[in-house]
Amino acid sequence: MFRPCTLMPLFLLLCTLVYPTPNRDPSTMKMFSVAHKTAFVVDHCPYMAESSRQQVECDVLTKSRAQGVIPLAPVSKSLWTCAVECSMEYCRILYDVYPLNKLINYIVSDSEFHILNTWRQEDQSTHELMSALAAVGPPNPREDPECCSVLHGLVAAVESLCKLTELQHEQRTVLMDTAERVANRGRIICLTNAKSDTHVRMLEDCIQETLMDQNKLAAGSDRLMAIQQCELVLVHIFPMGEDALVSDRPKKEISPLLTSEVHSVRAGRHLATKLNILVQQHFDLASTTITNIPMKEEQHANTSANYDVELLHHRDAHLEFFKSGDLHMAGSTSRDSGLKETVTLKWCTPRTNSVELHYCTGAYRISPTDVNSRPSSCLTNFLLNGRSVLLEQPRKSGSKVISHMLSSHGGEIFLHVLNSTRSTLEDPPSISEGCGGRVTDYRITDFGEFMRENRLTPVAETAPNPGGRFPADRAKAQLERYTRYWPMIISQTTIFNMQAVVPLANLIVKEALSEEDVLTCQKTVYNLVDMERKNDPLPISTVGSRGKGPKRDEQYRIMWNELETLVKTHAAGSERHQRVLDCIVACRSKPPEEEERKKRGRKREDREERPDKNGTKEPEDRAWQDSERLKGALEKEEQESEVIKDSPDSPEPLNKKPRLAIEEVQPSEKAKGPVSLLALWTNRITVANSRKHQEFAGRTSSVNNKAELYQHLKDDNGMDVHENGKASR
Amino acid sequence: MPTVVVMDVSLSMTRPVSLESSEEFQRKNLAVHGLTMLFEHMAANYRLEFTSLVAFSSLWELLVPFTRDYNTLQEALSNLEDYDKTCIESALNGVSNVVQQEWGSSCPCQVVLVTDGSLGIGKGSLRHSLQTLKQRADDKKFPLPFPFPTKMFIMCVANSEELQTTDAMDNLEELLRLSGGDGQIFTMEGQLCLKSVQAMFGRLIDQAYSPFHAVLHCGNLSSDVQVFPRPEPVVVDDEVDPMPRVVNTDLEIVGFIEVGDISSPPVTSRHLVLPIAVIKEAEDVSTGAAEEPEEEVSASQMAGKSPNFCVLLHGSLKVEGMVALVQLGPDWYGMLYSQADSKKKSNLMMSLFEPGPEPLPWLGKVAHLGPISEAAENPYGEDDSKSPFPVQPSIKRSYAQNVTVWIKATCILLHRLTFQRRPRPSIR
Repeated sequence: MFRPCTLMPLFLLLCTLVYPTPNRDPSTMKMFSVAHKTAFVVDHCPYMAESSRQQVECDVLTKSRAQGVIPLAPVSKSLWTCAVECSMEYCRILYDVYPLNKLINYIVSDSEFHILNTWRQEDQSTHELMSALAAVGPPNPREDPECCSVLHGLVAAVESLCKLTELQHEQRTVLMDTAERVANRGRIICLTNAKSDTHVRMLEDCIQETLMDQNKLAAGSDRLMAIQQCELVLVHIFPMGEDALVSDRPKKEISPLLTSEVHSVRAGRHLATKLNILVQQHFDLASTTITNIPMKEEQHANTSANYDVELLHHRDAHLEFFKSGDLHMAGSTSRDSGLKETVTLKWCTPRTNSVELHYCTGAYRISPTDVNSRPSSCLTNFLLNGRSVLLEQPRKSGSKVISHMLSSHGGEIFLHVLNSTRSTLEDPPSISEGCGGRVTDYRITDFGEFMRENRLTPVAETAPNPGGRFPADRAKAQLERYTRYWPMIISQTTIFNMQAVVPLANLIVKEALSEEDVLTCQKTVYNLVDMERKNDPLPISTVGSRGKGPKRDEQYRIMWNELETLVKTHAAGSERHQRVLDCIVACRSKPPEEEERKKRGRKREDREERPDKNGTKEPEDRAWQDSERLKGALEKEEQESEVIKDSPDSPEPLNKKPRLAIEEVQPSEKAKGPVSLLALWTNRITVANSRKHQEFAGRTSSVNNKAELYQHLKDDNGMDVHENGKASR
Repeated sequence: MPTVVVMDVSLSMTRPVSLESSEEFQRKNLAVHGLTMLFEHMAANYRLEFTSLVAFSSLWELLVPFTRDYNTLQEALSNLEDYDKTCIESALNGVSNVVQQEWGSSCPCQVVLVTDGSLGIGKGSLRHSLQTLKQRADDKKFPLPFPFPTKMFIMCVANSEELQTTDAMDNLEELLRLSGGDGQIFTMEGQLCLKSVQAMFGRLIDQAYSPFHAVLHCGNLSSDVQVFPRPEPVVVDDEVDPMPRVVNTDLEIVGFIEVGDISSPPVTSRHLVLPIAVIKEAEDVSTGAAEEPEEEVSASQMAGKSPNFCVLLHGSLKVEGMVALVQLGPDWYGMLYSQADSKKKSNLMMSLFEPGPEPLPWLGKVAHLGPISEAAENPYGEDDSKSPFPVQPSIKRSYAQNVTVWIKATCILLHRLTFQRRPRPSIR
């Protein structure tokens, strides 16, 4: 079924190009044009029960039937049936293409008028109208023709046009002072069987009179609006084979308020064609025929045939053709003896996938002209199943261009207009060439996760609306909360690189925390305390800082600071958020002794930095590299020794043993100035030796080779604090 | 929006400007001076604009086809020759051809018409063209309005008093009206000199060629950006809502939607979103704009190294296959997404939706899109297998329900046949 995919390269090229804005048709820019309100007035008088005399052959099954059966006689529809069918087809197309704000008020007229629905949106469906029409039933031939007239209906139509629609009401309320900008225009389509041109004139005069009266009435009422413009479309229906008693007349102005046109049409398919043309004219529709749709028959799966399907849609989908004068080239053909024009677009393989973002300049709802035909329903079902298809516009030159796409969204089919001209945005500078383009460690995956959490979903309008805000405002508020502390690059953050922080980080951004959430957050904090106690390594980035980066206790200090920053931005949110912050502040506080030690440690670092500044970079760097290599080895050792360390009885100071072994020797040497070869060598030997034996506890924790004695006495105090922390859990 | 510069090279442009100073200028010199200033400005601040140069007298000539190479344009300006009389109609025909050949008939264009206010004499003069507007055969129609949306800027190297002594001003106003009314006539104030011509082109630059700067917000994350081309004001309904809507300079992200859910939406225009470095005081606006002149490389390199939210957003949108829904103003939305061109160059792009509360029927009202955290259970499913989109309409369309239209006689028969296993075709 796939045609050879020769179009592939062209297609690929097209979807990567970028194109400019289409011109907007000014005619579509009025909310309250005559098209906003349409009153259908259908004659229900006894003469409408007359036969249309278009015969419908019923006896198609003759061949297969056994002999001796009397063939069915052909039947014909009444004028009323024809009128109802065609007007309903008008409504069907209208509702398909404009589900909103193009309203119909259906009125039936005999000895009195029957209004079948209102302007309200919920009354606007063919289903509603069909049920109402079924209740009305066929015209009663025995009714007194004297008291029956379409006039009742026409008067009711004018009255109805004065009534406000929901949209008019809403806009008037919104505009307040400038409510006069809301116009009231409308159209009356009258399907009747008139007696003569004089009769038609009488009807027109009557409408004109009613208009004047109603406008006067409306001037003094809040619920009614005066009509500024009314368009009467009178369709005279007469049976096949009879002469038209009424002559066609193009649109003419009867008064500044009223224009009128007369169409004299034979019942049956002529009437159907006429109303199809009218609905296109009235609602700016145009026709597109999709050709070469490959279909296979269910019963003969191996054979395939190409079908054409005609669709109606807003004419703006052809705007490009109109403007470029390409209509002929676009494959426009005249059908039904020049009454109707359609643009031909060719079914195109390959099909497109939905994850591709096409540059689309318009999407217009469609309605198939022949909704019941087999090819038509085959196409619509295909699309409703979620598949999209590209359409190509044949050009005179023989070149092809993909100009449209058919696609369904939520059970509605749209004709998308794809742009097919050169882009004014071609060859833009790449994002990597601009600001921030050289940075390579963006938290792309994390932000992706952030985006997933901040996806949108339709919220029912009836849902409770906290603070009178729209759901979209709440979505923005959520974005605000989620980004109060959000470092953009990996090297700017520690906590977001730690799996252990995830539960807290996910919860703290919530607007309200449950008691359980607080508990989870606290657990996370205790877990971190535990990690610190065990001296677990942190994923601190060394980018930017030179060499091996900060020491472990410094790392933890950075981590705690960052965590505090994150939680602080939310602490004001609720009492429970505050409790999480309190927990962090309480847990990270250290006994003064430990703090002191940290300070000393920092001092050491300072000293370490100093020789750097004295222009001894190179040997230093090498020394660093060496020590870095050693550190790697030591780190492994450290992990092995972890098993022992985990024992609660083991004294704390031992923890830092291996690393301090190198670091403590170095500074004393380095402080003297440039590092000599001897110093480097001695260092190496010392370090290598230190790995062969267990260092004395005192030496490892010494500062400048001076060790404090009886440290464990003070450390016991420190342990107490930790235990208190645990107790509070 | 591409620009066509239409330069009058008729003899009247060579009229000298009376000046007290020793140097003598022709009007042409002034016009060239003004255009030079415009091109320099564009080269520095509006570099992505395509510009072409058309010269005209009684005939027209495309001197430089659409380009971003402003040196070529400058060069062409300095090599202008003088010809015979002014014929604006032929020049406009030329513009129409040039633009449609390059961009088709739907791409909005800016036309900068530089003339001296003497609009030709006799046949072919603007006066004659306008007088005969209605008496023309179909094939000789006046070129205005152009098939493409036009912004017409008429730069008169003359002051308004001079123009009002003849009917020149009226004719130019009529020309502007015919072009669709979007645009402006600029005249020189006071004496004709280099200064006043600079002032006139300065006003044009302010109106049409100043870069559109905005701040893109996503909660507390933000980035200064230039939106190119400038988003144009949009009139939604000239009757109910006649005030043109303008894009906010604060672009607020509302949330995120999968590309498959937003599903090739119709847009009114597309724009590049280029991150820019925060403008330092008293420094040229161009600093940090994505297209840096050579000498500012160090500054742009600096900017390249500090993290920028746009780059992060772009990267994640690209990786995740999502778009960001962005609010442009009251009831006006757009989407941000990653767009790659054929050369694998990738960019952050913003498309604008039609203004209104519900630009895409399959999303429903944008104001009623809320965070998924509000939903009782994740509408996307725990494993992203579901989606709350598209929103289903309350009433099914005719083709989606079992309606029967009996207008055609065959329809009735087919309807009967359905009860007897009517064969159905399908598309493979």
